[in-house]
Amino acid sequence: MTHDNKSIHPAALMYAQEEKAGKLSRREFLTRTTALGLTATAAYGLIGAAAPAQAAGHVQQGGTMRIQMEVRGLKDPRTFDWPQISYYAAGWLEYLVEYNNDGSFTPALLESWSASDDATEYTLNVRQGVTWNDGTPFTAADVAFNITGWCDRTVEGNSMAGRFAALIDPATDKALEGAITVVDDYTVVLKSPVPDISLIAGMADYPAHIVPQDFDAENMLANPKGTGAYLPESLEVGVGGTLVRNEGHDWWGYAAGKGAFIDRFEFIDYGTDPSAWVAAAAAEEVDVIYETVGDFVDILDGMGWEKSEVASGSTVVIRPNQLAEVDGMQPYADVRVRRAIAMAVDPAVVLELGNANRGVPARNQHVGPMHPEWADVPAMEFDPAGALALLTEAGMADFEMDIISIDDDWRKNSTDAVAAQLRDAGFNVKRTIIPGSTFWNDWTKYPFSSTDWNHRPLGTQILALAYRTGEAWNESGFANAEFDALLAEANSLADADARREVMAKLQTIMRDEGVTLQPYWRSLYRHVRPGVVGGQMNIAYLPRLHEFGFAA
Amino acid sequence: MGLFILRRLGIMVLTALCLTFIVFWLTNLAPNLEKLAKTQGNARMSDEAVVTWLANRGYSQPLPIKYGQWLGVLPGYVIEGTDGDVRARCSTPGEPLETAPTFCGILQGDWGYSTVAKDEVTSVLPVRLANTGKLMFWVLIIMIPSALIIGILAGMREGSRTDRALSTTAIVSTATPEYVSGVILISFFATGTFGMQWFKGVASGAVSDANFENFFLPVITISLYAIGYIARMTRASMAEVMTAQYIRTARLKGVSFPKIVLKHALRNALIAPFTVIMLQIPWLLTGVVIVESLFVYQGFGWELVRAASNNDIEMLLAISVVSVFVVLVTQLISDIGYVFLNPRIRIS
Repeated sequence: MTHDNKSIHPAALMYAQEEKAGKLSRREFLTRTTALGLTATAAYGLIGAAAPAQAAGHVQQGGTMRIQMEVRGLKDPRTFDWPQISYYAAGWLEYLVEYNNDGSFTPALLESWSASDDATEYTLNVRQGVTWNDGTPFTAADVAFNITGWCDRTVEGNSMAGRFAALIDPATDKALEGAITVVDDYTVVLKSPVPDISLIAGMADYPAHIVPQDFDAENMLANPKGTGAYLPESLEVGVGGTLVRNEGHDWWGYAAGKGAFIDRFEFIDYGTDPSAWVAAAAAEEVDVIYETVGDFVDILDGMGWEKSEVASGSTVVIRPNQLAEVDGMQPYADVRVRRAIAMAVDPAVVLELGNANRGVPARNQHVGPMHPEWADVPAMEFDPAGALALLTEAGMADFEMDIISIDDDWRKNSTDAVAAQLRDAGFNVKRTIIPGSTFWNDWTKYPFSSTDWNHRPLGTQILALAYRTGEAWNESGFANAEFDALLAEANSLADADARREVMAKLQTIMRDEGVTLQPYWRSLYRHVRPGVVGGQMNIAYLPRLHEFGFAA
Repeated sequence: MGLFILRRLGIMVLTALCLTFIVFWLTNLAPNLEKLAKTQGNARMSDEAVVTWLANRGYSQPLPIKYGQWLGVLPGYVIEGTDGDVRARCSTPGEPLETAPTFCGILQGDWGYSTVAKDEVTSVLPVRLANTGKLMFWVLIIMIPSALIIGILAGMREGSRTDRALSTTAIVSTATPEYVSGVILISFFATGTFGMQWFKGVASGAVSDANFENFFLPVITISLYAIGYIARMTRASMAEVMTAQYIRTARLKGVSFPKIVLKHALRNALIAPFTVIMLQIPWLLTGVVIVESLFVYQGFGWELVRAASNNDIEMLLAISVVSVFVVLVTQLISDIGYVFLNPRIRIS
């Protein structure tokens, strides 16, 4: 079917221009143009993209999928710090809940769940008929065991403890007495003393793999007990790993129509240099590039590979630390200095120079349209002259700001773009670049530095992790009693519309206090060889191995 | 001769001891241990968690004690962690602690555990060394004959047009480091930019299945650098021999030029290049580090980069020992070989 230009609504062409100019997100573009009567395929055609293939119906059973990915060592899933580890472990260790690109949650090992109105009590209904791959049934006791494990703060590096903080007793650093109750074989009830709306979201995050009760992290490869459809065959860290279908195991997903089309997954590590990934793609040694970054998006587009894109909550923050001392004073404790920094930087410019317009501009509030409770709070006005005046008023016009970043592509470039705009506004700015191997040793303590933050399903989750007083990841040193109180209130409102009113106040505080620069939301990209279906980039990098397949 | 080799072996052990102690000290500096904890535990671990993580795994013991444990002269630690788990240096995952030996170090043949590879050093490093061995084998196969031919052709008629042309090529190739030539070769022959996409720009496939397509670029990248250098040495040596009295005598006697070169000049001219080639092998190891990282070929150099960037202590120590071994053994071979090539030299 071909369209000549006459049959296309003129506004659609205008939207296509705007989409290309980065003024309109692709999702927004599709919503608007399809509302004007265009088919999705035609709409994609207008912006020079191919319509994403639909997996259902024409996927062939079987095959070997080769995925370019950093292959990292396995450890206790609670301590996973890279989604790539989860891609491998997800072959046999599954999740309770799955998180989708449109922001919704789908039950996996859970059948369903319900929350009380004040979000303090959750009833989890465990899926029936699921078995471990040694044949024993999967029950509520297994779920309770895992949640108890997630609540154990004494395990070093257990990041699940942060997601389940509401259930943890601060005195023992373990789960509260009576917080996790097994009601019957297929029901678990969670009771939290404080309201928490993010528990289900926490269960969908990548470290939340469900492990058996006799789990031994040291020996997890030799004894791969899990509920998933695959088994590990080999794993050589930094080189590659393979998963093969567990033929003897009756995976619950077959009956549920979840797929698992591929017989064998091969993860191949080509290091961290994207040019090697492109070389691997050109040499036809892989079918999927785990994540395409920067200019390599265009290069792989040019090679005819299929792109999948998702606008996510992943972002970069370039924040001053209010507690950090430089030369015996705290330069960023003064709100005028922080506001001056925010006024001097135009987010759209940072997006263009730092990330080649791959994303949408943000408003320094670290909550965005991809979060259900986002409120439309306007950004602070871009005013370089006013910024310098404010900085001079604070008596800091001569102060040399040292902005630190990691040595990579987009984070370094974005930080450079910020530094350049500050210099243009008349600030005294120095840039320091630290290699990735040492950058993270002190990342929360740098006086002024950039950090990348991953997407999280709820806006309150990010604010709680990064900006609540005294949090381990509070890298801006922000401490504001009003903010903390509002955040606690937002966390007790399970309804997103009700939460939005509180969120508007929170976002206003974020903006007015100049807590951080958060110039843009990144789009995530993945490229697959033509003929691969179901390997869409996930908004939270979650492994969805059962969706991968080859077109029939 | 025997005494000479024995003395050399003694020096080797001493060098290895010194080098490993330096590496051990550097990798056990506080910031490096913190990095280790964060790469192994969780990248965003709190400071308190880092301290307990290190203490639970024996990293907080005094340096000489840790070094002694690695050597195997002190008993391995057994520490009851703050989380209630008992960890022992000598235990194997999945087996009870009681069966673990008291000592486990180099002297007991235990090279330790690679924290990055999550495997024993003795099962990872030999694989990497074999891969690098394969790479080096093909490098030497290409490098030695071509370098010697270029050097001899250039040196047999000093100042001729052939000499100038070959010498210029040799100087250019030896003046171009691997990280430059590798990138240039990839952009010419592994991308479609110049329409000459004949080879693959990644060599990880060559680990299991090396072929001309995926292995040629890394091999030629390392070879190019050394070819120029060895060719220059050969040329100088050849040119010197060609001016010697006995060559002139042979020419006056009416011996044909090819015969002079092959029968009379070659053996004497090859003494210097032989040493250079042997000394070039340890040099090539540095090239291997760059080329293997560039082409993602999982060999010795690639492992070194990975171990260093992740502070993989016991792997780095094993790599240092291997490096000392390679350097000193090639030197030993070159010294002994010299005796056979040059009868005027005697090893006392």
